[in-house]
Amino acid sequence: MNTARTIVFDNEAVQAMADPAHPKHRRVMAAVQAAAGRNLRRAGSVSLVVPTTVQVEAGWDRRRPRGAALNRLRVTRPRLDGQTADEAAEVVSAVGVTPAHAHLAVTLKSTAPPHAVLTSDASDIRPVADHVGARVTVVTI
Amino acid sequence: MPETPPARATACGTGCGTVINVERRLKRLLDLLDASHEDTINTSIRLPAPLRDAAALAAEMGLARSTTELTVRGLRDILEAFAQRAVLEAHYRAHPAARPTLAEVAQAAAEMDSNPLAGQPELIRRAADAVAGLKSDPDADDVLLYAAALAAAA
Repeated sequence: MNTARTIVFDNEAVQAMADPAHPKHRRVMAAVQAAAGRNLRRAGSVSLVVPTTVQVEAGWDRRRPRGAALNRLRVTRPRLDGQTADEAAEVVSAVGVTPAHAHLAVTLKSTAPPHAVLTSDASDIRPVADHVGARVTVVTI
Repeated sequence: MPETPPARATACGTGCGTVINVERRLKRLLDLLDASHEDTINTSIRLPAPLRDAAALAAEMGLARSTTELTVRGLRDILEAFAQRAVLEAHYRAHPAARPTLAEVAQAAAEMDSNPLAGQPELIRRAADAVAGLKSDPDADDVLLYAAALAAAA
């Protein structure tokens, strides 16, 4: 057992977080609330992370009011720059996943462990995490 | 002829102004946290002497660049935590059904930690009920600690 230090949101988790009418909104907010509680106990102990490619796939446009609360939740958004694009491309070639999941895998390497990944697609996350050598707790939403 | 009540009181009651004020301050807090931090100012703060000396020692040991860096990081982290909590509370005010129960929050924490208690949601629910009666403003880790004690005693 490890206390999650970085919580990574996959596509549907982002959509659920952004939309109060989403059927899984409350379940995802429970995870956010748990992280926020830990940050109040020990500041800076848990990060909420959405890789920008996942953001694109989820359709989270920060300029639209629908995701207003999500915009303000202090979510870190690792970008896909030249180097990480190369790394993600290698993951796509090796594992055959979407660019968003490849970027998520690269993000696992660059953020602080232990990781928890909130996803509705556990079967895709485990192989990419294994490929980059990251031990993650996959939470199916 | 009776006086017309102020528009604000008619529209949203006496608490509305307070909520608007809180919202305005929260927005300002978030804007400040998001702003560029290239502009700096000198400021004077009183630190406990042992804490100051510990910070200086940590910098000498290469664990941090400077006391200033440690102070800024600590201040930023705690302000981010306050902001996160305030954003959540504002969200729940607007969408009360979105607020998870204490048991749901504890269950989520257990799942994210690969805590074996995640497989015992009923135990977590019982622990949440008990902790809510024992402690004000309990959090997920209070519940999980209590649940672990219940599991150990069983």
